[in-house]
Amino acid sequence: MLTERVEAIRRNYVEAKPCISYQRALIWTQSHQRTEGQPIAIRRAQAFYDCCDLLPVNIFEGELIVGAIGEFRKCGILTPEYSWLWVDREMDHFDTRPQDPYVMTAEQRAFVREHIFPYWKGQSLEEAFLARVPAETAKIVVDTGIVDNDSKWRQAVGEVTPDYQDVLFAKGFGGVAAEARAKLAALGDTDADSLDKADFYRSVILAAEGIVRFANRYADEAEKLAAAEADPVRREELRAIAQNCRNVPANPPKTFHEALQFVWFTQLGGILSENPLALNPGRFDQYMAPYYEADIQAGRLNEAQAQELVDCLWLKLSEWVWTISANTADYFAGYNQFQNLTVGGKTREGLDATNAVTYLALKATEETRTHQPGLSVRVHQDCPPEFLGAVTELVSKGTGFPAIHNDAVGYQMLLNAGYEPQDAKDWNNCGCVVPHFRKTGEWTAAVNVNFGSALEYALNEGRSLLTGELMGLPERAASNFATFDEVKEAFFRQFANLCRHSITATLVAQKLHQELVPRPFLSATIEECLASGRDLSQGGAKYNVGPVITGIGLAVVANSLAAIRKLVFDDRTTTLAELCAALRADWDGFEELRQSALVAPKYGNDDDYVDTLAIEIANWYYREIHQYRDVFGNPFNTAFMGISNYIPMGRVLGATPCGRRGGDPSSEGVSPYVGSDCSTPLAAMRSAAKVNQEIHSGGTLLNLRLNHELVATKRGQANLGAMIQTFFALGAFHVQFNTISSQVLRQAQAHPEQYRDLLVRVAGYSTQFVNLSRSMQDAIIARTEHAEF
Amino acid sequence: MPSSDPSSGWVMNIQNFSVNDGDGIRTTIFLAGCAMRCPWCANPEGGSLRNPMTKLMSVDEVVSQVLRQLPFLRVSGGGVTFSGGEPTFQTGFLRALAGPLYDAGVGLAIETCGTFSYLDVADVLAKMDQIFMDFKHPDPAAHLRWTGRPLDLVLENLRHVRESGADYVVRIPVIAGVNADSETITRMLDILADACPSAKLEFLPYHKLGFAKYEALGKPTPAGFETPADADLAEYQKMAVQRGLEPISYR
Ligand code: SF4
Repeated sequence: MLTERVEAIRRNYVEAKPCISYQRALIWTQSHQRTEGQPIAIRRAQAFYDCCDLLPVNIFEGELIVGAIGEFRKCGILTPEYSWLWVDREMDHFDTRPQDPYVMTAEQRAFVREHIFPYWKGQSLEEAFLARVPAETAKIVVDTGIVDNDSKWRQAVGEVTPDYQDVLFAKGFGGVAAEARAKLAALGDTDADSLDKADFYRSVILAAEGIVRFANRYADEAEKLAAAEADPVRREELRAIAQNCRNVPANPPKTFHEALQFVWFTQLGGILSENPLALNPGRFDQYMAPYYEADIQAGRLNEAQAQELVDCLWLKLSEWVWTISANTADYFAGYNQFQNLTVGGKTREGLDATNAVTYLALKATEETRTHQPGLSVRVHQDCPPEFLGAVTELVSKGTGFPAIHNDAVGYQMLLNAGYEPQDAKDWNNCGCVVPHFRKTGEWTAAVNVNFGSALEYALNEGRSLLTGELMGLPERAASNFATFDEVKEAFFRQFANLCRHSITATLVAQKLHQELVPRPFLSATIEECLASGRDLSQGGAKYNVGPVITGIGLAVVANSLAAIRKLVFDDRTTTLAELCAALRADWDGFEELRQSALVAPKYGNDDDYVDTLAIEIANWYYREIHQYRDVFGNPFNTAFMGISNYIPMGRVLGATPCGRRGGDPSSEGVSPYVGSDCSTPLAAMRSAAKVNQEIHSGGTLLNLRLNHELVATKRGQANLGAMIQTFFALGAFHVQFNTISSQVLRQAQAHPEQYRDLLVRVAGYSTQFVNLSRSMQDAIIARTEHAEF
Repeated sequence: MPSSDPSSGWVMNIQNFSVNDGDGIRTTIFLAGCAMRCPWCANPEGGSLRNPMTKLMSVDEVVSQVLRQLPFLRVSGGGVTFSGGEPTFQTGFLRALAGPLYDAGVGLAIETCGTFSYLDVADVLAKMDQIFMDFKHPDPAAHLRWTGRPLDLVLENLRHVRESGADYVVRIPVIAGVNADSETITRMLDILADACPSAKLEFLPYHKLGFAKYEALGKPTPAGFETPADADLAEYQKMAVQRGLEPISYR
């Protein structure tokens, strides 16, 4: 049960529309006006310090964890140093856009247009990227949906897991600053390297002192509020808040409450410094448990109080809203900042890692139902049954959380990327499904590549079906392909070309990040950066892992190639010429051919006819991408993940031979095409597990729909647990479940073609909902409503 | 007539991922054919071997399809459930399927209406981890009238199963219009308390989810049968407990 306080905060979070604050952008801009001519690291660190010094301090009603990025409780900020063009273009429609709207008043808009944006004209990362990316690559990668890396030149990188274990909770930011000062004092001043390092250490000192200054201003405010507070209970709370903010993040935390406040200050620092995507709290249960246990033992805290505090952090994490363009919002829908928090798994020593805080985290997500943090669990084959039980129970609540990961495969993925075994065992998730580790610099979501485009160009003489423009390599007409292998070769040729542009675009962006947007605050949270004197953007971390290129549309392409093989070359019921004519017509007038394409084998049904094609494509993709090296000389990595990127990537894709119509969504991760895995979730799992998931160190993702009724009981949840463990035993990395409500069943009635995979329990067995008669569907909807919570 | 060649048989459906229907994740093999003729039957395509909704499959086909599911069945502690129709109706085919699955370490269960010659199927039943056996009506005349088969045989087979030491569950399909009144249920429970004291018992409320199949087969849908009220079912559960029986539910 949520406490009244948490319930009130939650209600506000659910109901409030996020507001944009320009305070941070204004301070940042004014600071830069004062520091012209200084090294960029210093300018950015000074701007960060100035934010900490000048931002309005806000303690909202009932809060136990404090600190805000602006004047609004549910708030997004602007980072014009990365990009402002799109804000200028789009902000007049912020409050009416369909995906992720924001409130921004006319006065606010006039203000930023007059006082903030003009300074950044020609100075932003976005403009620099557009100026430098080769025209040939720009044609493919800039707002096309073919190859997309705009989050790496319109936004900060993020994708960092601050190191609480060895840096922050061990030393505090006060300790970090002291260490940087000592390092600075030991540097010479007659070699270029030392001069660079000196700039770095100065930037770290400014950043660390900045966040401490920010916390102290909160302590002052809390003391002021306490003095004026009539309610004695709240007065005590405010005093405790003041005490917390006086101690952390300057020093190591002394209590569970302080440790939570520390985590939020670290997030705040990250947000104010760069508004990052995927700033991960990491292995929360591991670094929080000692504080929890000490407090419990000392009688300072009970479980209910601890739960309330964790709930408060969850709401804080959710009240910050990522400010993104409509285009980016298509790819990352749902105000999602991807602050990934991981619990469970094994310790560095290889023992089961679950503890009391693991369960507090699961419960917090169940009860607050916030979209943040992105809660991930690591499940190993010998994990405690109560842990697996808690995980599947949370699945049954229909929040879509947690993301469930295979402990062993995450370890393997990091080993492949060159990690030492103990570090690899200590992995956490980054963003959505990328196995990560706290001492790492990595672009975990560098580029999305549209596999479907490569096939489209192979079959359409290098041209886009929708625009007719030559986007790929020139290609002969598809009717000239005499064998299936020739079709495949053409596909791989086009595919290699898209991979090449992905690499070029990433390298240009990587170099620009080094030049323009060093990251003093987040570098201060990474041990090896402090030791080596190098910023994260300069490869200062212990592990620098090559950027991750995410493949979108594996299922669509595997299905399409299977359809071509089946219809054109095996059964000879059509020709490539006819099939391509059908695609150009978006299947209009080819309904019969489309039907035979739709019934051709589909990935996700444990059918080797098509699954072997998926394996071949995925393996080829790995080899192709892995041969390239990034700015630090590290091999690029592959992933099959997905946020909502399969939707915009489908939009630019014409009809595909699998029977899909032009503009329809593509497929995500290693998931089957929506509605085409019409056997059982077990068959979908078997197909997905075949794809050699562990070689794709950037992570793999499988989303499945599950009828709520299947997991409504303890027994159902136990079966789900067994299903997950089996999937993992087969070698898979991740699975996440959407449980299905009666509302979804109604949608399935209206659009059966999109819900062919939807499985419902009928009577002692489960079957495809869309295959039932209308009256039976109605009966099941009635029953599902009955069982809903 | 039951198929004489046991290397293939008539299958209504193979349902992977059956849950809430026995232990763990299960694959249910629905075998066609049934000696009874219950007018409320939810699986009318099981009434004959050959019809538009059944297909002839070889033992190899069925077994290899099931074995693809083996990892899931193993980890969940599930297995295969033979259902129908009446799975013993094609005794030879049932035996031919049960053998290799049993040898592969797959847990087996069977759902039967209780109408079979015990001697003919005793060896197959011995391979089952669990036997679900229907009991439809307490009155011999009414039983014969509703199902077309005698009550005696069902009760005799129930006794055999109990004596064999197998893990079994008696299932009462509760149907308003047939047996869903407290007098009839009382009689049924009394018979059970006497014939198989402290047996596990599952009440299965009648549902109309099989109507679509009647439509598909071009047959008129059953009339005159209704789902019992939840309150009545709760009452029957209580009555069963009072008689020392053990009501269970796989939910
Ligand atoms: S015994 Fe079962 S399968 Fe046979 S007719 Fe009766 S209800 Fe149908």
